[in-house]
Parts: sequence; C-alpha cells; structure tokens
Amino acid sequence: MRRFFQLPWRTRQQIRADVDDELSFHLDMRIDALVASGMSRDEARAQAIREFGDIDDARRYIRAVDHDIEAARRRSDYMNDLRSDIVYAVRKLRGSPMFTLTAVLTLALGIGANTAIFSVVNGVLLKPLPFPQQDRLVRIQFRQQGHGDASTPPDLADFRTRARGFDGFSHFEGYTANLVREHAEPERLVGAEVSANWFSLLRVRPLHGRFFSVGEDSPSAPQVVVLSEPLWRRDFAADPAIVGKQLQINAQLMTVVGIAPDGQGYPMSAELWVPTRFSARDLSDATRGARWLGMLGRVKDGMPLETAKAEVEGIEKQMEGLFPEQFKERRARAIQLQTAIVGDLQRPLYVIMAAVAVVLLIACANVANLMLVRATARESEMAIRTALGAGRSRLVRQLVTESMLLSIVGAAAGVAFAKWGMGVLIAMAPADLPRVKTAAIDGTALAVTAGAALVIGLLFGVLPAVQTSAGDLANALRAGARGARTRRQANRTKRFIVAAEVALAVTLLTGAGLLIRSFRELMAVNPGFQPDHIMTMRVLLPGKTYDTLPKIASFARQLESRAAALPGVRAAALGNAVPLDGTSFWLTFVVRGSAPVRPSDQPSASIRTVTPNYFTVLGTPLLRGRAFAADDRVNAPRVAIVNQTFVKRFMANEDPIGKYVEIGWTIDGVRQGGQIVGVVGDVRDDALNADVDPTFYLPFDQTPVEGIVITARTAAPPASITSALRGVVRDLDPTLPVYDVQTMEQHVAASVSRQRFYATLLGVFATVALVLAAVGLYGVIAYAVSQRTHELGVRVALGATGTRISRMVIGEGVILTAAGVLVGLVASLGGARIIAKLLYNVKSSDPVTFVGVALLLGVVAACASYIPARRAARVDPLVAMRGD
Amino acid sequence: MASEPMDLLQGTLDVLVLRALRLGPMHGYAVSRWIRERTDGVLEIEDAPLYKALHRLEQAGHVAAEWGFSENNRRARFYRLTPDGRRQLKDEEAAWRRYAAAVFKVLEPA
Repeated sequence: MRRFFQLPWRTRQQIRADVDDELSFHLDMRIDALVASGMSRDEARAQAIREFGDIDDARRYIRAVDHDIEAARRRSDYMNDLRSDIVYAVRKLRGSPMFTLTAVLTLALGIGANTAIFSVVNGVLLKPLPFPQQDRLVRIQFRQQGHGDASTPPDLADFRTRARGFDGFSHFEGYTANLVREHAEPERLVGAEVSANWFSLLRVRPLHGRFFSVGEDSPSAPQVVVLSEPLWRRDFAADPAIVGKQLQINAQLMTVVGIAPDGQGYPMSAELWVPTRFSARDLSDATRGARWLGMLGRVKDGMPLETAKAEVEGIEKQMEGLFPEQFKERRARAIQLQTAIVGDLQRPLYVIMAAVAVVLLIACANVANLMLVRATARESEMAIRTALGAGRSRLVRQLVTESMLLSIVGAAAGVAFAKWGMGVLIAMAPADLPRVKTAAIDGTALAVTAGAALVIGLLFGVLPAVQTSAGDLANALRAGARGARTRRQANRTKRFIVAAEVALAVTLLTGAGLLIRSFRELMAVNPGFQPDHIMTMRVLLPGKTYDTLPKIASFARQLESRAAALPGVRAAALGNAVPLDGTSFWLTFVVRGSAPVRPSDQPSASIRTVTPNYFTVLGTPLLRGRAFAADDRVNAPRVAIVNQTFVKRFMANEDPIGKYVEIGWTIDGVRQGGQIVGVVGDVRDDALNADVDPTFYLPFDQTPVEGIVITARTAAPPASITSALRGVVRDLDPTLPVYDVQTMEQHVAASVSRQRFYATLLGVFATVALVLAAVGLYGVIAYAVSQRTHELGVRVALGATGTRISRMVIGEGVILTAAGVLVGLVASLGGARIIAKLLYNVKSSDPVTFVGVALLLGVVAACASYIPARRAARVDPLVAMRGD
Repeated sequence: MASEPMDLLQGTLDVLVLRALRLGPMHGYAVSRWIRERTDGVLEIEDAPLYKALHRLEQAGHVAAEWGFSENNRRARFYRLTPDGRRQLKDEEAAWRRYAAAVFKVLEPA
C-alpha cells in the first residue's frame, strides 16, 4: 500500500512500550469486566491471566514480529523514496536537455578516456605476467660499458652451481624458424631457444604432451620443438595428434613434444620453443667474452628478493676474482621480470595516465560549474521544498540522486566510448609495446571506472547542496533579495574553478607541445639516406640447405640480378640489415700496422655487409674513394668501406683510404676484414635520435650471410612491386618464407612509433583539455553577463558605450585566464622535468613552447569571452532595468 | 456446557480473527470477546496465541494496525482488514466450508 506521508519509524524501545501497552490494555479490560460481573479484583486478575495463557512468550514473539515489520517498512520507505527521487531526477534532467547532454557528454569523454588509457596501462604495466608466483622470476642482467646486458654460456653454469637462493636459472635467446608444411606457403616464425628447464622455471603446464626434459639441450639429443597454442590452432587446426609428429623447421626435422598454453609468449612473443644446444666448446671458458644470451632465474619461495639480488651481485664478484679480464667493469644484477619487461615504458605511460586524469579533472570542473549554475537557478525551488517540510538531508539526497544519475549515465557512455577508443589505441600503439595487443577493458578497469563515477556523483551532488544551503534559504524566497550574498560566493567558486581548469589545461598543453616539438625535431633529423621509394624484405637461408659460402653467394647474386630486372625497379641491393630495422652487429677490429693493443682494449664498430648497389638504393652519398664493385668477389683482394664517424673516431688525422682493417670475425678459417677503398656519409642505423655508429661495410660477396635483406628503389610507389619481389624469391627457392616486408618509410615510422604514440596521445588530450577549458570559460562569462544584465543596463544608461562594455567583459575573461595561465606555467616548469628524458633536442623549459601556450590560451580566452561580450554590448538599458 | 472445550486446529485461529475483523476495526480485546461469544466456549482459545496471530497477520499484510481510543477512552491498538486480508478471509472461508462439507458427507448416515 502507498502511504501519502511517512509514519515515523518505531525504535526498539517504542516497540517494547507499544507491546506492553497493548497487552496491559487487554488485561485491564478483562479484569474490569469480571469485577463488574461480581468477582473480587484479585480473583478477576487471576482469571484474566489464566485466560491469556503464556503472556511472556506472546510478548517476546510479538516484539520480534513488530521489529521485522518495522525493518521491512524502513526498507520499503527507502526504496519508495529512492524511486521517487529517481523519477524526480529523471524528470528534472529531461526538463533541461542541454544541461544534461553537455554534462553527460563531458563526463563520458573524461571517464571514457580514462577507462581506455587505464586499460592499456593496466594491460602493459600492472597486470601480473601469466606465470605462477611471477614476482619471484628475475632477469639476471650483466651491465658492461659498450655491451648489452646479455650473458655467456658459462655464466649459466656458474650461477647454477653457486647460487643458493634460487630454484634455478635458464637461458633464452631469440630464434627464427622457417616452417615448411605441405600445401602451405613457407612461414617464418618468431620463437625462442631456451634451456631445457625453461618451462618448469616458469611453472607452466603443457596443454598437450610435455615440455623439454633434462638433457634435451645437449647437442646429441634428438631435435624437439614445443608449439604455442595460437600457432597450434592457426597452422594445425588444434589437432592434439600433432604431438609426436615431425615438422620441417629450418630444413631439419623436429619432433613436436608439446603445446604451451596461450599467453606464454615470453620471451619476445615466441610462438615456438627449441632447446639451446651448447657444445662443449660453447660451455668452456673460451666463450666468456661472447655475450648473447638472456638469463632468467626463479628466487626460492620464502627467500627475500633483496637477499637473492645481493647473492647475484656476490657471485659476480667471485667470478671477477677468477676471470679478472672478462669480468672487468661488468656488473650483474637481478631485476624482477615484470620490471625488466616494462623497462623504460613506465615513465611515459604514467605521464599519459596523469595527462588523461587531468582531462577528467577538467571535465569534472566543467560539470561542477554547470551544476553550480543550475543550483543557483534552483534556489527558489529548493526554498519552496524546504518550506513544504523537506529536510535538509532529503534535499541533499535529491541532489545527490541527480548527480549520481548523471555520473552513472556518463560512465556508461564513457565505457562505450572507451571500447571504441581501445580499438584506436591498440591499432595506434607501437608494435614493440609489450602485451598491448591483449589489453582489454577488464574487471579492474570497470571497477576503477565505477569508483570514479561514484566519487564524481557524490561530489557533484554534495557541492551544490553545500553551496545552496550555505546561504540563508529564506533569503532566496524573499523577492528582490535574490540571495545576493550566496550568489557572489557561488560566482567566486565558479571563477576559481575556471582558473584552475585553465591552469590544468596549460600543463597538458605545454607537455604536449614539448613532445610534439621534440617529435618534429626527430623527424627533421637527416637519416643519411633517402627513405622514399624503397621496398625492403627479408629472407633467412637455413644453414642445413645453404651450408657453404658459394651456395649463399650464388643464391644472393641471382636474387639481386632478378630483383634489379623487375619492371619498375631502378636498382636493387642486398645487405645483412637496413637502417632502423633494429638489427646491429658490433665487432672489435685492429688496423694493420698500428701499435698492438690488448684484446680487451680493442675498439669496436658496427659491421654491415652489403652488395655494390646498396648505397645507390639507399641514396647514401659516397664521400671519398669508390663504392664496392662487381669485381670485389671472393678471390679478389678484400676491400671495405667506412662511414664518416668511423674516420672521425679512429682515423681523424690520417688518410683512411688504403688502410687494412681486420675484424674479430672468422668465416671458414679466414679472418674477415679488408682494405678501405671508400668513405660514405653517416647513416642513422639504430635510431634517429641515437648517435651514429662508427660503421664498417664489407662486400656481400666476400662476406656472405644467411640473413638477407633485399632492398629495391622503385619508380612507382614501392608497395607496387611487393608481389613481384616475393615471386623472385619463390622462383629461386619455394621453401623460403619472406618476412618483414616494409617500405623504408615504414621502417622510419616504426623507429619513432613510441615517440609518435606519446606525442599523439598527449596532443589529443591537450586539445580536449583546451576545448573543455574554453567551454568552461565561456560558460562562466556568459552566465556572469546574464546575471549582470541589470547592472550593465545601468552602465549603458549612464553613458557607457558598447565597445567599453564588451572590453570590460573580455577583460574579465582574460584576467581569469591570465591567472590560470600563470599558475599553469609554473606548474608546467616542474612537470616538464618529468618528461625531459622523453625529449629530443628540446629543453624541458623550451621558451617557444611556453610562450606559445600562453599566447594560445590568451587567444582562446578572448574568443570564448567575445560572444558574451557582444551580447553585453547590445544590452538595451530600458529592457534590462525593467526586466528585473 | 455439554463437554470439555476442544483444542483449536492449526491455522484455524487466523481465519477466526479475520472473520471477527470483518465487522470493522476493533482492538485485540474485542476480537477475543467476539470469538469466545460466537463459539459458546466450545473452542478453548487463549489470548496469547490470538495476539500472536494478530501481529503475524499484520506482518503478512492481511490486517493493518493503528493506535486509537477505546470506548472507555483508553489508548488501544485497533486492527482492520486490508483488501489483502479480505481476499484471504474469503479463500480460507471457502476452503473451510469445503472441508467441513466433506467431513459431514462421510459422517452422514448412508
């Protein structure tokens, strides 16, 4: 039943008293009746009690029932109130569709962007790796000047025998597989070579079959391979019977022993795993200088990580005592696997998360101002409801219901927006951002979103409520008074909020401005080659088939000449790498005839092996001497070309041409190297923002390699020759997969994809922030003008010109903005230091950016104030003064 | 009295209380008196279960209670049938009549 008014709820004591009253009324009535029929009072009482039965039991029972009735009533009253609050709120919100739409869209934008970015950051940084007790897994890294952080085969043995705090250690390195199946294109797969204990170290269980067993990483053991679940589904139709069968990988037969469950794509998004197979020589002390292996360890359960880390450093010290030469200045350290993977992503991703949080703050500020304007407009409504008996808490509840409704709808729309945004983000994200492809809006992200919506809803409900009830409500009812004091206070709050908004937007704009300027600096770098109209693709010749240098050289010669003969190809060349493809290969060298140096003090340089046309195709200028020629064959005198940096670094005061350089690389017993015949321009091989490597080029014919990049300069758009170029490879060897098919411009783009990603995201957020701040500013100024119509009318009547009035209004907007800009710029000076590490060729206090942002906001503020200013200038004094 | 008073069958009290309230709002004492008079003391009815029944019926929504003043001007809790209670009474009454008719049919000399 619906009641039209609420009965007050009964307390426990009231129920107790009511029950006692009811029962004693009964007894009294009965006693009176019996006395009236002639009984004595005592007899009557005794009979009444007898007739009643177990009165204590009844009393207990009734109290309990009444208590339940009361609780149920309270619940239903609450639900009724809530329902009517919601109905009322919906009616109110629908009554002002512009307000509602603006608020919901603003919130959806802010919340949605946060949900999307949080989901990405969560997927990349925060979500634990999919291995049991993954926090016990550590990378063992060996830092040494001029080398990476890799380890050697003997290192693994050292750590296995010496470490006490670890369950085990395992090696891993990248592995490339050419998989040839019947009735299918040959496929190039990324895999990993790992120690036999790899999977037990990760504590992963096989989906089917088994993982490697002890001893399967010895060179004499039969060849085995573990496939990943995605590969197994894609290429083998998820057939469990594949376990035990043999596959042709790199021209060898390997037995599939097991399937690893999805999500285990570590290291390097591996799709298959083979055991590392070290020979006795690999494991001897002779290889202590050759570092190419990653090392993983698992800290024993219950062993503090710090102790384990200290142990790793201790072992390195012991080894340095045994092999002082190789371990000189080498430092070993253990880093949690997740931290190692995330690496230098942490800072930029947190910066982006902070940026998007600022966008939400600005969005909230705008909505807060909207709510304040609304609250002012509703002062009389609230006053009337108070007069009709609505308590203060009831009014606050009503306002909170409205704002919660807004924030919930905003959040829901935001999640939909985030879903779309995630697609864009993931497509835009750099390919080397780990785990980004699997990032999704999950429970955690939704919980964060819901939390944000809750806080926002509460805040926005309570804020105007406090604002409204802060002033004298009765004041609002009194005609003419119009709660002037409250209003002035509310306006001050609004101005403060807008100035804060501007300040926040300034910090985002300077951050984005710095990153964008840095990105433009990066793109303006001369890479040392002309990236347009170049197509590149890679093949890897399996050592089993191409087991002699003449075989490789003959394949390469045919490949190059056929590629060059394709219509639309101006020139074609081969090399072991192309600039910016992420491969570089360093070796030590000695110049013949110079004073002998100890092996550990020999200089090193980047080594590249290329065919004669390589520099023509890339457009790298020959500065001195000659390029390689077709005559620089195996049996011809060995020659070499160096780049400018090489000359500057190592032969600054002498003529490089004619010097003979020997490098630390022996093929078939022949020490590689050659006589320098030419000098070429510097090429940024590693990254546009990295120093140029001293580089030493060898002719491909004299130093052939199995991993070949084909490059072709085209007349038409480079992609147009892709299939023809693939066809050349297929005709020569149908079992060779072609991969890494990219134009040179794509290589350049990929090399700066992180910087582009950060700059784009921050740019987008800054733009949104700017628009929101402009809208907020406009709203406040426009509202102030509409409030002051009366005053403006008086001014016009007293002789103020329209120009003067509009200048006054614009001035107000500019002053508000100037305050915000000032605070924002100071905050940015501090904030920019956080992103200083991400900047290239731009100082974190770059004056161009800071002044630019200040000017931009000045212009935006003037525009945002211009419209209300024009309205103010047209105020008709008669209408304005009558209208009040 | 012809014989010893009989115990009340389970659930019978509820229907008696509802029936009493069909006369109009009354307090517990009045309900108790009315039932005793109607049954001529054939049924042994104590007041404790009667009050328990009243509150139970209130919880079920069959009756509604309100404080008012008795004929001798004392504060008393008055009960009245809700539309729900009226329906409930009708259903239970019909059920009782069917039940009694069936029993009579068996007892009637063939």
